[in-house]
Amino acid sequence: MKSEKIFKHTSPARVGIGGPVGSGKTALIEKLIPTLEARGIEVAVVTNDLVTKEDAERLKRSGLIDPDRVRAVETGACPHTAIREDPTLNIQAADDLAAEFPSVGIIIIESGGDNLASTFSLDLVDYWLFVIDTAGGDDIPRKKGPGIIRSDLLVINKIDLAPLVGSDLELMEKDANEVRGDRPMVMTNCATGEGIVAIVNQLSRDVLFDA
Amino acid sequence: MSNASLLLASLQHGDSFFPSGAVSFSWGLETLFSEGALTNADDIEAFARTQLQGRWAGFDRSVLISAHDAASLKDGDIDELHRIDAIVETQTLAREMRDGSHRSGLALLRVHEKMGTPGTSSYYDDIRGNKTRGHLSVMQGFVWARCGITKFDAQVIAAHALCVGLLGAALRLGAIGHVDSQRILASLRDPIDLILCHEAPVLERVHAFTPHSEIAVMRHETADSRLFAN
Ligand SMILES: Nc1nc2c(ncn2[C@@H]2O[C@H](COP(=O)(O)OP(=O)(O)OP(=O)(O)O)[C@@H](O)[C@H]2O)c(=O)[nH]1
Ligand SMILES: [Mg+2]
Repeated sequence: MKSEKIFKHTSPARVGIGGPVGSGKTALIEKLIPTLEARGIEVAVVTNDLVTKEDAERLKRSGLIDPDRVRAVETGACPHTAIREDPTLNIQAADDLAAEFPSVGIIIIESGGDNLASTFSLDLVDYWLFVIDTAGGDDIPRKKGPGIIRSDLLVINKIDLAPLVGSDLELMEKDANEVRGDRPMVMTNCATGEGIVAIVNQLSRDVLFDA
Repeated sequence: MSNASLLLASLQHGDSFFPSGAVSFSWGLETLFSEGALTNADDIEAFARTQLQGRWAGFDRSVLISAHDAASLKDGDIDELHRIDAIVETQTLAREMRDGSHRSGLALLRVHEKMGTPGTSSYYDDIRGNKTRGHLSVMQGFVWARCGITKFDAQVIAAHALCVGLLGAALRLGAIGHVDSQRILASLRDPIDLILCHEAPVLERVHAFTPHSEIAVMRHETADSRLFAN
Protein backbone atom coordinates (compact mmCIF):
# COMPACT_ATOMS: atom_id res chain seq x y z
CA MET A 1 0.00 0.00 0.00
CA LYS A 2 1.34 3.39 -0.90
CA SER A 3 1.05 6.24 1.52
CA GLU A 4 -1.96 8.44 0.90
CA LYS A 5 -0.20 11.51 2.19
CA ILE A 6 0.18 14.41 -0.18
CA PHE A 7 3.88 15.17 -0.31
CA LYS A 8 4.73 18.83 -0.27
CA HIS A 9 8.42 18.31 -0.92
CA THR A 10 8.72 16.53 -4.20
CA SER A 11 12.40 15.75 -4.15
CA PRO A 12 14.36 14.89 -2.14
CA ALA A 13 12.22 13.30 0.55
CA ARG A 14 12.55 14.82 4.01
CA VAL A 15 12.47 12.47 6.95
CA GLY A 16 12.45 13.54 10.60
CA ILE A 17 13.93 11.51 13.44
CA GLY A 18 12.79 12.50 16.92
CA GLY A 19 12.90 10.97 20.36
CA PRO A 20 14.27 11.39 23.88
CA VAL A 21 17.90 12.23 24.64
CA GLY A 22 20.21 9.29 24.06
CA SER A 23 17.60 6.95 22.60
CA GLY A 24 19.85 6.29 19.59
CA LYS A 25 18.79 8.80 16.91
CA THR A 26 22.33 9.49 15.70
CA ALA A 27 23.27 5.81 15.98
CA LEU A 28 20.26 4.99 13.80
CA ILE A 29 21.36 7.55 11.19
CA GLU A 30 24.86 6.03 11.21
CA LYS A 31 23.32 2.67 10.32
CA LEU A 32 20.78 4.06 7.84
CA ILE A 33 23.33 5.94 5.72
CA PRO A 34 25.29 2.92 4.41
CA THR A 35 22.15 0.82 4.01
CA LEU A 36 20.42 3.53 1.98
CA GLU A 37 23.54 4.31 -0.05
CA ALA A 38 23.92 0.60 -0.85
CA ARG A 39 20.52 0.85 -2.51
CA GLY A 40 21.66 3.87 -4.49
CA ILE A 41 19.91 6.45 -2.34
CA GLU A 42 22.14 9.37 -1.46
CA VAL A 43 21.70 10.90 1.97
CA ALA A 44 22.15 14.34 3.54
CA VAL A 45 21.61 15.15 7.22
CA VAL A 46 20.53 18.15 9.30
CA THR A 47 21.24 17.86 13.02
CA ASN A 48 19.72 19.97 15.80
CA ASP A 49 22.35 19.56 18.48
CA LEU A 50 21.26 21.17 21.70
CA VAL A 51 24.41 22.67 23.15
CA THR A 52 27.31 21.75 20.89
CA LYS A 53 27.80 20.52 17.33
CA GLU A 54 28.61 17.08 18.70
CA ASP A 55 26.26 15.01 16.49
CA ALA A 56 27.09 17.00 13.35
CA GLU A 57 30.82 16.57 14.02
CA ARG A 58 30.38 12.87 14.81
CA LEU A 59 28.63 12.27 11.47
CA LYS A 60 31.15 14.41 9.57
CA ARG A 61 34.03 12.44 11.03
CA SER A 62 32.31 9.08 10.63
CA GLY A 63 33.57 8.54 7.08
CA LEU A 64 30.05 7.40 6.21
CA ILE A 65 29.06 10.60 4.46
CA ASP A 66 30.61 13.58 2.69
CA PRO A 67 31.04 16.11 5.55
CA ASP A 68 29.54 18.88 3.37
CA ARG A 69 26.27 16.97 3.38
CA VAL A 70 25.87 17.40 7.13
CA ARG A 71 24.51 20.68 8.52
CA ALA A 72 23.99 21.69 12.14
CA VAL A 73 21.16 24.04 13.02
CA GLU A 74 21.21 25.65 16.46
CA THR A 75 17.79 25.82 18.05
CA GLY A 76 18.28 28.33 20.88
CA ALA A 77 17.40 25.73 23.53
CA CYS A 78 14.06 25.11 21.80
CA PRO A 79 14.39 21.69 20.12
CA HIS A 80 10.62 21.19 19.91
CA THR A 81 10.03 24.68 18.47
CA ALA A 82 12.55 24.04 15.70
CA ILE A 83 10.67 21.00 14.41
CA ARG A 84 7.13 22.22 15.01
CA GLU A 85 6.12 25.85 15.70
CA ASP A 86 9.05 27.44 13.90
CA PRO A 87 10.83 24.98 11.61
CA THR A 88 12.00 27.78 9.28
CA LEU A 89 15.75 27.36 9.84
CA ASN A 90 15.56 23.59 9.46
CA ILE A 91 13.64 24.08 6.21
CA GLN A 92 16.34 26.52 5.12
CA ALA A 93 19.11 24.02 5.85
CA ALA A 94 17.24 21.26 3.99
CA ASP A 95 16.61 23.61 1.04
CA ASP A 96 20.33 24.46 0.96
CA LEU A 97 21.29 20.78 0.90
CA ALA A 98 18.72 20.01 -1.78
CA ALA A 99 20.02 22.84 -3.96
CA GLU A 100 23.70 22.01 -3.48
CA PHE A 101 23.36 18.25 -3.89
CA PRO A 102 20.67 17.54 -6.49
CA SER A 103 21.45 13.83 -6.47
CA VAL A 104 20.46 13.45 -2.83
CA GLY A 105 17.36 11.29 -2.48
CA ILE A 106 16.65 11.68 1.21
CA ILE A 107 17.36 14.40 3.75
CA ILE A 108 17.27 13.20 7.34
CA ILE A 109 16.53 15.80 10.02
CA GLU A 110 17.57 14.71 13.52
CA SER A 111 15.74 16.59 16.24
CA GLY A 112 17.55 17.54 19.41
CA GLY A 113 16.77 15.03 22.16
CA ASP A 114 13.38 16.02 23.53
CA ASN A 115 10.44 14.65 25.46
CA LEU A 116 7.62 12.29 24.58
CA ALA A 117 5.36 15.16 23.49
CA SER A 118 7.51 16.33 20.58
CA THR A 119 6.13 16.05 17.06
CA PHE A 120 7.34 17.14 13.63
CA SER A 121 5.51 19.72 11.53
CA LEU A 122 4.48 18.28 8.18
CA ASP A 123 5.62 21.57 6.66
CA LEU A 124 9.14 20.41 7.55
CA VAL A 125 9.10 16.67 6.83
CA ASP A 126 7.20 14.20 4.67
CA TYR A 127 7.53 11.41 7.19
CA TRP A 128 8.93 11.03 10.69
CA LEU A 129 10.33 8.39 12.98
CA PHE A 130 10.23 8.44 16.74
CA VAL A 131 13.01 6.55 18.50
CA ILE A 132 12.64 5.30 22.07
CA ASP A 133 14.80 2.71 23.77
CA THR A 134 14.31 -0.18 26.14
CA ALA A 135 16.60 1.37 28.75
CA GLY A 136 14.18 4.27 29.13
CA GLY A 137 11.74 1.86 30.77
CA ASP A 138 9.20 -0.59 29.36
CA ASP A 139 6.32 1.66 30.40
CA ILE A 140 7.18 4.32 27.79
CA PRO A 141 4.79 3.08 25.03
CA ARG A 142 2.02 2.92 27.60
CA LYS A 143 2.60 6.61 28.41
CA LYS A 144 1.24 7.43 24.97
CA GLY A 145 3.10 10.62 24.12
CA PRO A 146 2.21 12.18 20.75
CA GLY A 147 5.59 10.99 19.41
CA ILE A 148 4.67 7.39 20.18
CA ILE A 149 1.14 7.62 18.87
CA ARG A 150 1.48 9.94 15.88
CA SER A 151 4.90 9.20 14.37
CA ASP A 152 4.80 7.45 11.00
CA LEU A 153 7.22 4.83 12.25
CA LEU A 154 8.03 3.98 15.87
CA VAL A 155 11.47 2.58 16.55
CA ILE A 156 12.14 0.73 19.79
CA ASN A 157 15.91 0.70 20.01
CA LYS A 158 18.53 -0.97 22.22
CA ILE A 159 16.67 -4.28 22.31
CA ASP A 160 20.00 -5.83 23.37
CA LEU A 161 19.76 -3.93 26.64
CA ALA A 162 16.23 -5.06 27.54
CA PRO A 163 17.26 -8.06 29.68
CA LEU A 164 19.97 -6.01 31.38
CA VAL A 165 17.63 -3.26 32.51
CA GLY A 166 14.69 -5.51 33.24
CA SER A 167 12.51 -4.24 30.39
CA ASP A 168 9.85 -6.55 29.01
CA LEU A 169 10.17 -6.33 25.20
CA GLU A 170 6.96 -8.20 24.49
CA LEU A 171 5.05 -5.84 26.74
CA MET A 172 6.57 -2.81 24.97
CA GLU A 173 5.59 -4.24 21.61
CA LYS A 174 2.07 -5.06 22.74
CA ASP A 175 1.51 -1.63 24.34
CA ALA A 176 2.94 0.17 21.31
CA ASN A 177 0.69 -1.75 18.94
CA GLU A 178 -2.27 -1.03 21.13
CA VAL A 179 -1.80 2.73 21.08
CA ARG A 180 -0.68 2.90 17.43
CA GLY A 181 -3.29 0.71 15.78
CA ASP A 182 -1.86 -0.56 12.50
CA ARG A 183 0.90 2.02 12.16
CA PRO A 184 4.30 0.39 11.79
CA MET A 185 6.89 -0.23 14.48
CA VAL A 186 10.38 -1.69 14.27
CA MET A 187 12.62 -3.09 17.00
CA THR A 188 16.29 -2.30 16.54
CA ASN A 189 19.74 -2.71 17.91
CA CYS A 190 21.60 0.20 16.39
CA ALA A 191 24.86 -1.04 17.81
CA THR A 192 24.77 -4.11 15.55
CA GLY A 193 22.38 -2.99 12.80
CA GLU A 194 19.58 -5.41 13.65
CA GLY A 195 16.25 -4.09 12.34
CA ILE A 196 17.79 -1.48 10.06
CA VAL A 197 16.79 -3.27 6.85
CA ALA A 198 13.18 -3.30 8.04
CA ILE A 199 13.32 0.48 8.49
CA VAL A 200 14.87 1.04 5.09
CA ASN A 201 12.22 -1.19 3.51
CA GLN A 202 9.55 0.88 5.20
CA LEU A 203 11.13 4.13 4.00
CA SER A 204 11.47 2.77 0.47
CA ARG A 205 7.80 1.94 0.39
CA ASP A 206 6.28 4.93 2.17
CA VAL A 207 8.67 7.74 1.32
CA LEU A 208 10.68 6.86 -1.75
CA PHE A 209 7.90 4.87 -3.42
CA ASP A 210 10.27 2.13 -4.58
CA ALA A 211 7.82 -0.63 -3.77
CA MET B 1 -8.40 47.94 6.75
CA SER B 2 -10.41 48.68 9.89
CA ASN B 3 -8.64 49.74 13.07
CA ALA B 4 -9.15 46.35 14.61
CA SER B 5 -7.85 44.54 11.58
CA LEU B 6 -4.78 46.82 11.40
CA LEU B 7 -4.05 46.17 15.05
CA LEU B 8 -4.60 42.45 14.57
CA ALA B 9 -2.18 42.45 11.64
CA SER B 10 0.46 44.18 13.76
CA LEU B 11 -0.09 41.72 16.58
CA GLN B 12 0.33 38.81 14.20
CA HIS B 13 3.58 40.08 12.73
CA GLY B 14 4.99 41.21 16.08
CA ASP B 15 4.17 37.96 17.84
CA SER B 16 6.93 35.44 18.53
CA PHE B 17 4.35 32.86 17.41
CA PHE B 18 5.11 34.03 13.86
CA PRO B 19 7.79 31.64 12.57
CA SER B 20 10.98 33.46 11.58
CA GLY B 21 13.82 31.49 13.15
CA ALA B 22 14.22 34.16 15.84
CA VAL B 23 14.63 31.64 18.69
CA SER B 24 17.95 30.50 17.25
CA PHE B 25 19.72 33.84 17.63
CA SER B 26 21.12 35.57 20.72
CA TRP B 27 23.12 38.34 18.99
CA GLY B 28 26.09 38.01 21.37
CA LEU B 29 24.12 37.38 24.52
CA GLU B 30 25.06 33.71 24.79
CA THR B 31 28.78 34.51 24.78
CA LEU B 32 28.53 37.48 27.15
CA PHE B 33 26.42 35.47 29.59
CA SER B 34 28.63 32.39 29.49
CA GLU B 35 31.72 34.54 30.04
CA GLY B 36 30.12 36.23 33.05
CA ALA B 37 30.00 39.69 31.47
CA LEU B 38 26.23 39.77 31.97
CA THR B 39 24.88 38.19 35.10
CA ASN B 40 21.54 39.62 36.22
CA ALA B 41 18.35 41.33 35.09
CA ASP B 42 19.91 44.82 35.21
CA ASP B 43 22.70 43.70 32.89
CA ILE B 44 20.20 42.18 30.47
CA GLU B 45 18.12 45.33 30.46
CA ALA B 46 21.23 47.44 29.77
CA PHE B 47 22.23 45.06 26.98
CA ALA B 48 18.81 45.34 25.32
CA ARG B 49 18.88 49.13 25.65
CA THR B 50 22.31 49.28 24.05
CA GLN B 51 21.16 47.12 21.15
CA LEU B 52 18.18 49.41 20.63
CA GLN B 53 20.07 52.69 20.90
CA GLY B 54 23.47 51.69 19.59
CA ARG B 55 22.43 49.48 16.71
CA TRP B 56 18.74 49.42 15.90
CA ALA B 57 18.08 53.18 16.05
CA GLY B 58 20.91 54.26 13.75
CA PHE B 59 21.11 51.25 11.48
CA ASP B 60 18.32 48.68 11.28
CA ARG B 61 15.60 51.29 11.65
CA SER B 62 16.84 53.32 8.68
CA VAL B 63 17.22 50.18 6.63
CA LEU B 64 13.68 49.12 7.47
CA ILE B 65 12.27 52.55 6.59
CA SER B 66 14.07 52.62 3.24
CA ALA B 67 12.96 49.09 2.44
CA HIS B 68 9.38 49.91 3.39
CA ASP B 69 9.51 52.96 1.09
CA ALA B 70 10.94 50.96 -1.79
CA ALA B 71 8.41 48.15 -1.33
CA SER B 72 5.50 50.58 -1.15
CA LEU B 73 6.10 51.93 -4.66
CA LYS B 74 3.93 50.43 -7.35
CA ASP B 75 5.37 46.98 -8.18
CA GLY B 76 8.12 47.70 -5.64
CA ASP B 77 11.56 49.07 -6.46
CA ILE B 78 13.45 45.79 -6.46
CA ASP B 79 16.77 47.34 -7.53
CA GLU B 80 16.56 49.68 -4.58
CA LEU B 81 15.83 46.76 -2.23
CA HIS B 82 18.91 44.98 -3.58
CA ARG B 83 20.96 48.13 -3.03
CA ILE B 84 19.75 48.39 0.59
CA ASP B 85 20.53 44.72 1.11
CA ALA B 86 24.06 45.32 -0.18
CA ILE B 87 24.57 48.20 2.26
CA VAL B 88 23.62 45.97 5.19
CA GLU B 89 25.92 43.22 3.92
CA THR B 90 28.94 45.50 3.64
CA GLN B 91 28.34 47.32 6.91
CA THR B 92 27.85 44.32 9.16
CA LEU B 93 31.28 43.30 10.31
CA ALA B 94 30.90 40.14 12.40
CA ARG B 95 30.25 37.04 10.31
CA GLU B 96 27.62 35.56 12.62
CA MET B 97 25.78 38.90 12.76
CA ARG B 98 25.71 38.96 8.97
CA ASP B 99 24.69 35.32 8.69
CA GLY B 100 22.08 35.73 11.42
CA SER B 101 20.58 38.71 9.65
CA HIS B 102 20.56 36.86 6.31
CA ARG B 103 19.15 33.62 7.73
CA SER B 104 16.40 35.26 9.74
CA GLY B 105 15.51 37.59 6.87
CA LEU B 106 15.29 34.64 4.51
CA ALA B 107 13.21 32.66 7.03
CA LEU B 108 10.75 35.54 7.39
CA LEU B 109 10.52 35.99 3.64
CA ARG B 110 10.03 32.28 3.04
CA VAL B 111 7.02 32.12 5.34
CA HIS B 112 5.51 35.09 3.52
CA GLU B 113 6.25 33.45 0.21
CA LYS B 114 4.35 30.36 1.37
CA MET B 115 1.52 32.57 2.64
CA GLY B 116 1.31 34.28 -0.74
CA THR B 117 2.36 37.79 0.32
CA PRO B 118 2.63 39.71 -3.00
CA GLY B 119 6.08 40.05 -4.55
CA THR B 120 7.83 37.77 -2.07
CA SER B 121 8.21 34.83 -4.40
CA SER B 122 10.45 36.63 -6.91
CA TYR B 123 12.55 38.16 -4.13
CA TYR B 124 12.99 34.68 -2.69
CA ASP B 125 14.26 33.54 -6.10
CA ASP B 126 16.67 36.50 -6.16
CA ILE B 127 18.17 35.41 -2.85
CA ARG B 128 18.35 31.75 -3.88
CA GLY B 129 20.01 32.88 -7.10
CA ASN B 130 22.61 34.84 -5.10
CA LYS B 131 21.50 38.16 -6.57
CA THR B 132 20.93 39.60 -3.11
CA ARG B 133 21.08 38.55 0.53
CA GLY B 134 17.71 39.27 2.14
CA HIS B 135 18.82 40.83 5.41
CA LEU B 136 16.35 40.89 8.28
CA SER B 137 15.59 44.63 8.42
CA VAL B 138 15.24 44.80 4.64
CA MET B 139 12.85 41.86 4.63
CA GLN B 140 10.86 43.30 7.54
CA GLY B 141 10.33 46.59 5.68
CA PHE B 142 9.56 44.74 2.47
CA VAL B 143 7.08 42.10 3.65
CA TRP B 144 5.33 44.27 6.18
CA ALA B 145 4.78 46.99 3.58
CA ARG B 146 3.34 44.28 1.37
CA CYS B 147 0.99 43.26 4.16
CA GLY B 148 -0.33 46.79 4.48
CA ILE B 149 1.46 47.55 7.75
CA THR B 150 2.27 51.27 7.99
CA LYS B 151 5.86 52.44 8.13
CA PHE B 152 5.41 53.58 11.72
CA ASP B 153 3.84 50.32 12.85
CA ALA B 154 6.58 48.39 11.06
CA GLN B 155 9.18 50.21 13.17
CA VAL B 156 7.29 49.51 16.38
CA ILE B 157 6.95 45.84 15.48
CA ALA B 158 10.64 45.53 14.60
CA ALA B 159 11.80 47.17 17.83
CA HIS B 160 9.43 44.97 19.81
CA ALA B 161 10.59 41.83 18.00
CA LEU B 162 14.22 42.70 18.71
CA CYS B 163 13.52 43.10 22.43
CA VAL B 164 11.43 39.93 22.64
CA GLY B 165 14.15 38.00 20.83
CA LEU B 166 16.86 39.19 23.22
CA LEU B 167 14.77 38.70 26.34
CA GLY B 168 13.64 35.27 25.16
CA ALA B 169 17.27 34.28 24.68
CA ALA B 170 18.16 35.63 28.14
CA LEU B 171 15.27 33.70 29.64
CA ARG B 172 16.33 30.44 28.02
CA LEU B 173 19.92 30.99 29.08
CA GLY B 174 18.66 31.26 32.65
CA ALA B 175 19.80 34.87 33.05
CA ILE B 176 16.33 36.17 33.92
CA GLY B 177 12.95 34.80 34.90
CA HIS B 178 9.54 35.20 33.27
CA VAL B 179 8.54 38.16 35.46
CA ASP B 180 11.82 40.02 34.95
CA SER B 181 11.54 39.56 31.21
CA GLN B 182 8.11 41.22 31.16
CA ARG B 183 9.24 43.99 33.52
CA ILE B 184 12.23 44.72 31.29
CA LEU B 185 10.10 44.62 28.15
CA ALA B 186 7.80 47.25 29.66
CA SER B 187 10.77 49.40 30.71
CA LEU B 188 12.03 49.41 27.11
CA ARG B 189 8.88 51.13 25.85
CA ASP B 190 10.14 54.61 26.73
CA PRO B 191 13.50 54.24 25.03
CA ILE B 192 11.76 52.87 21.91
CA ASP B 193 9.29 55.74 22.00
CA LEU B 194 12.14 58.24 22.26
CA ILE B 195 13.95 56.69 19.31
CA LEU B 196 10.79 56.87 17.20
CA CYS B 197 10.32 60.56 18.07
CA HIS B 198 13.56 61.40 16.27
CA GLU B 199 14.29 61.29 12.55
CA ALA B 200 16.10 58.16 11.48
CA PRO B 201 19.43 58.76 9.71
CA VAL B 202 19.23 58.57 5.93
CA LEU B 203 20.55 55.37 4.38
CA GLU B 204 23.89 56.96 3.43
CA ARG B 205 24.53 57.79 7.09
CA VAL B 206 23.54 54.61 8.86
CA HIS B 207 25.81 53.64 11.71
CA ALA B 208 26.00 51.23 14.61
CA PHE B 209 28.33 51.15 17.58
CA THR B 210 27.98 48.09 19.80
CA PRO B 211 31.56 46.79 19.98
CA HIS B 212 31.05 44.72 23.14
CA SER B 213 28.37 42.54 21.59
CA GLU B 214 29.96 42.47 18.13
CA ILE B 215 33.25 41.17 19.47
CA ALA B 216 31.28 38.66 21.54
CA VAL B 217 29.57 37.49 18.35
CA MET B 218 33.00 37.03 16.75
CA ARG B 219 34.16 34.95 19.70
CA HIS B 220 30.96 32.92 19.45
CA GLU B 221 32.13 31.52 16.10
CA THR B 222 34.58 29.26 17.91
CA ALA B 223 32.73 28.80 21.20
CA ASP B 224 32.20 25.27 22.52
CA SER B 225 28.77 25.96 23.85
CA ARG B 226 26.39 26.81 21.04
CA LEU B 227 22.77 26.83 22.03
CA PHE B 228 22.35 29.73 19.63
CA ALA B 229 23.56 30.47 16.11
CA ASN B 230 25.18 33.72 17.22
N1 LIG C 1 23.68 -1.19 23.47
C1 LIG C 1 23.19 -0.32 22.59
N2 LIG C 1 23.63 0.95 22.62
C2 LIG C 1 23.12 1.82 21.72
C3 LIG C 1 22.15 1.44 20.77
N3 LIG C 1 21.84 2.53 20.03
C4 LIG C 1 22.58 3.54 20.48
N4 LIG C 1 23.37 3.12 21.52
C5 LIG C 1 24.27 3.95 22.32
O1 LIG C 1 23.49 4.87 23.05
C6 LIG C 1 24.17 6.10 23.22
C7 LIG C 1 23.33 7.26 22.71
O2 LIG C 1 23.14 7.12 21.30
P1 LIG C 1 22.97 8.36 20.32
O3 LIG C 1 22.83 7.81 18.95
O4 LIG C 1 24.02 9.36 20.56
O5 LIG C 1 21.59 8.92 20.86
P2 LIG C 1 20.78 10.20 20.36
O6 LIG C 1 19.34 9.86 20.45
O7 LIG C 1 21.30 10.65 19.05
O8 LIG C 1 21.16 11.25 21.50
P3 LIG C 1 20.94 12.85 21.50
O9 LIG C 1 21.19 13.33 20.11
O10 LIG C 1 21.92 13.35 22.48
O11 LIG C 1 19.53 13.07 21.94
C8 LIG C 1 25.48 5.96 22.46
O12 LIG C 1 26.47 5.61 23.38
C9 LIG C 1 25.21 4.81 21.50
O13 LIG C 1 26.36 4.10 21.15
C10 LIG C 1 21.70 0.08 20.78
O14 LIG C 1 20.84 -0.35 20.01
N5 LIG C 1 22.26 -0.75 21.72
MG1 LIG D 1 21.97 12.52 18.47
